[in-house]
Amino acid sequence: MLHTIKRYWRLYRVLIAQFFKVVMQSKGDFLMGLLGFFLTQASGILFLYLIFEQIPSLNGWTLDQLIFIYGFAQIPRGIDHLLTDNIWLVAWRLVINGEFDRYMLRPMNVFFQVIAEKIQPDALGELLIGSILVIISASKGVVVFDFAHVALFVVSVLAGALIYTSIKLFFAALAFWLKQSGPFLQVAYEMADFAKYPTEIYNKGIRFLITWVIPFAFVAYLPASYFLGKGGAGVIGVECLIAIVFWCVAYGVFNYGLKGYESAGN
Amino acid sequence: MIEVKNVSKEFVSPKKYPGLKGAIKGLFSNEKVAKVAVDDISFSIAKGEIVGYIGSNGAGKSTTIKMMTGILTPTRGECLVDGINPSKSRKKNAQNIGVVFGQRTQLWWDLPLSESYTILKEIYDIPDDLYASQMEFLNNVLELRDFFDKPVRTLSLGQRMRADLGAALLHNPKVLYLDEPTIGLDLVVKDNIRKAIKEINEKYQTTVILTTHDIGDIEELCSRIIIIDEGKKIYDGTLDHLKDTYGSKRKVVMEVKNTEAVKALDLVGALHISEENSNEACFTAELDEAKNLFTITFDKHRLQAPQILSAVMEVTEVTDIKLQETELAEIVKEIYHHGTTTGTAEAGGGN
Repeated sequence: MLHTIKRYWRLYRVLIAQFFKVVMQSKGDFLMGLLGFFLTQASGILFLYLIFEQIPSLNGWTLDQLIFIYGFAQIPRGIDHLLTDNIWLVAWRLVINGEFDRYMLRPMNVFFQVIAEKIQPDALGELLIGSILVIISASKGVVVFDFAHVALFVVSVLAGALIYTSIKLFFAALAFWLKQSGPFLQVAYEMADFAKYPTEIYNKGIRFLITWVIPFAFVAYLPASYFLGKGGAGVIGVECLIAIVFWCVAYGVFNYGLKGYESAGN
Repeated sequence: MIEVKNVSKEFVSPKKYPGLKGAIKGLFSNEKVAKVAVDDISFSIAKGEIVGYIGSNGAGKSTTIKMMTGILTPTRGECLVDGINPSKSRKKNAQNIGVVFGQRTQLWWDLPLSESYTILKEIYDIPDDLYASQMEFLNNVLELRDFFDKPVRTLSLGQRMRADLGAALLHNPKVLYLDEPTIGLDLVVKDNIRKAIKEINEKYQTTVILTTHDIGDIEELCSRIIIIDEGKKIYDGTLDHLKDTYGSKRKVVMEVKNTEAVKALDLVGALHISEENSNEACFTAELDEAKNLFTITFDKHRLQAPQILSAVMEVTEVTDIKLQETELAEIVKEIYHHGTTTGTAEAGGGN
């Protein structure tokens, strides 16, 4: 077991190192990418500022609290985005054109191979913005600050990232039956945008959808309200439970789908 | 080494209708069409064999290979590769096999070949000393040194194929699957690749299964061939047996001085072919007067080339002769067209 973990960790480093070598090979592209990245982030922050300036409070939440919810939502999203972005390719391309074959031919876990092929630096923007907003709002004293809350903050962020990954993996795995599941994954993933705001502002249907069907509310708004001192720690427990259940289902569907993988003709 | 038992693979897809109306109809209908790509195929391959797996496009070659490599799961039946079921123990099986798909590289497109090999070393968990000795061997056989530091995308097709072959052999697999390994290569490179495959097979007793459309590959490499058509196995046996059964015709081409004399020649009489035997199957003659070429195609079981030659030489001088076996390509073409009505020859060898 320990040997396996060590081996996979070494493989991960090797594969990611290769990914960066390829990315850096054309220095021009790399620098342009970096520049674009900072511009995107700057405009993102500006946009947020303009929005929040218009809404001093929403449904009983103050601006600082809203900023915390918004920022907190970015962190698990960013972690998932950083590490598992290659899942998108499974949904859009790899299954339908048969490139998925290469994962099947190597003596490594297939899911591991998929995610170890890429790191998404764009995600650093989400992590950066998320962290800045969380720190700003925390400095204004809206967040409960004790050991339990800080520890559960870390747990919640990790569980949230796992929920993101599970949802992506589940919808990407549909490609084994549909050949291409990109559009479905896109729709599901964009549901996450709803959870950046207090869910009470939506009607019942949407609220039910993002709480219990595609549970992004448990990634962002619900745990965030606990950190803001509203509601008990139980919500983090439910979040972890959802993360585990969703992961098991998604990973099970993915593995089941592998059996039905049809490759592509030459 | 490899056991394939009654394996079938079906691909199920939604039924499609033509036209825009059809497309809409297709959206709401639940009809499915099953296409049988591989239909109840069985064979077994011993350690160290080189087997040619041939068939026309879409016959099911690649599908079978993909089932043996663990990419596809058979709809029915079972494959065992070195005692391992590839679809059940994919990772374990992957450690034992090497795969080259001629039309698709397994290498990292943008990385230098050397980097690709370093990753593969990690992936297959190859110990340093084994890696060094294997690299030494592969370098000699495949001459990788010339382009070892070049990015894969800049390699010529021949170099890339050698690189791919090397990559598939790095962990010294027990079984090597080659899906059209010489496709699109020039003659010299083809020859090198074939030699390399042979050397590896001899050195390590690697079992090799290759699909190809190149008859040269088969003639030079394979002691045994399996032919499939429309998903069914139609021949499994030695190359010689195939030639004996389907390629009993030989051709002798003679350049003659005097075409008039040849015209007047009564070959049936001269060859002492008895009346009841003198049907067309025995031989056919063809005279090209412009080039002075006299061609006789004959059944090698019933006539001998010297017989014919001496009969012709009695009437005119022969300045040049050429004797041809029927080419394998023609035999295979024949089989594709007609199937083997003469029976699925479970010929000796192999099994």
